[in-house]
Amino acid sequence: MLFSRLVGLPVVSLAGGAELGVVRSPVLDAGSGLVTHLRIRGRLRPARKETVLAWDAVHAVGPEAVLVRSAVRSPVPPPRLDVLGRRVLTETGDERGTVLDVVFDPSTGRVLALFTTHGELPAHRLLGLGDYALVVRAV
Amino acid sequence: MHEPMTVRSLTTRPVVTLGGDAVAQVKDTVLDAGAGHVTGFTLSGRGLLSGALKRALPWPAVHSLGHDAVMIRDLRDLTPAAVVMAGGEALRSRVLGARVVTDAGTEVGTVLDVVVEGGTGGRVVGFRIAARKAFVPGSRHRRRRVYVPRGETLDVCGRTLVIPAETARRAAEDLRDLAARLGVSHAARKGPLP
Repeated sequence: MLFSRLVGLPVVSLAGGAELGVVRSPVLDAGSGLVTHLRIRGRLRPARKETVLAWDAVHAVGPEAVLVRSAVRSPVPPPRLDVLGRRVLTETGDERGTVLDVVFDPSTGRVLALFTTHGELPAHRLLGLGDYALVVRAV
Repeated sequence: MHEPMTVRSLTTRPVVTLGGDAVAQVKDTVLDAGAGHVTGFTLSGRGLLSGALKRALPWPAVHSLGHDAVMIRDLRDLTPAAVVMAGGEALRSRVLGARVVTDAGTEVGTVLDVVVEGGTGGRVVGFRIAARKAFVPGSRHRRRRVYVPRGETLDVCGRTLVIPAETARRAAEDLRDLAARLGVSHAARKGPLP
C-alpha cells in the first residue's frame, strides 16, 4: 500500500464504530523501517485538532478505512516529520531528489520501498529521517 | 578519488547528521600549516541572523564531505572551536591572497581559492589562481583564472607557496579539467541513484 493512499482514510474504532478522524500522515522510523504512529486529524469542527495513534493500536488497514482497537493516544508524541516531499541525501552528502511516495505492508507496518524523483529505493537503504533530509546508504 | 570542490563553495553548506538533522552550516575551512589537508571547519548557525557557533567540526568527525552537505555521525562529535583552530589556520587568514611561485623562480600569481577532495580524504588537491600575464599568454581581455594541481611537494614560506615548475605547467582551465588531469571523473550533478 502507498502512503499517499493511506492519507485521508477515515479512522474507525472497532468498539462502537465511531469515527475518530482521518489519517493526516504516517510517522516513519527510518532506523527500523517501520511505521510507528499515525497522525490523525479530527473531522468535526470543534475537534479538528491533531492526535497521534501508535501503530500497535491499528487492527487493520483496508482500502476504505483504518480500523483501530482503541482510541488510546500515544504517550510520547513522535517528532513532526513528514516523509513525503522530504529531501533525499546520501550518506556521502549528495542530494538525490525528494521522496514522492512510500510503499509499505499494511499488515505489519513495514516499509518495502520508496519512490523518489530520482528513482526507486529499497527500504534497507534508509539510515535516518530528520528535519533536513532523509539520509540513505550509498551503495 | 572523490569529486574536487573549492573551499569557498563550502561556506554555508549545511552540516547534517546521519539521522537527517541539519545542526549547523560551514563558516570557514581550517587547513594545516602546509596547506595539505583540511583539519576542520568553523561553524555558524543555520538561521539568517544566527552568528558563529562556539563549537567547531574537526575533520575526523566528518563522515563524508559531499556536494550538497557535510555529513557527520553525531552532534556530540563537535568540539570547542579553539581545539580545531589550534593545529591550523582559517582559510581567509593566510592562504587566500598568498603568492604562488615555481621552484624555478617564475611568479605564477595569487591564490583565489583552494581545491579540496570530497569524501573522507580531505586532501588539498589544487589551487585556483589569478595568474600573471606572463604565465597565461593570450588576449589582454581574457580572464586569467587557472587551476593548478597541488602536487606532492609544496613549500610554504610565510605568505608564499612554492610549487614545482612541472606541476605549474599542468594548469587547467576549470574544475572539470583539473579533475581530468588528476585522473578523476568529475561527478555528474544529476543522474540516477548510485
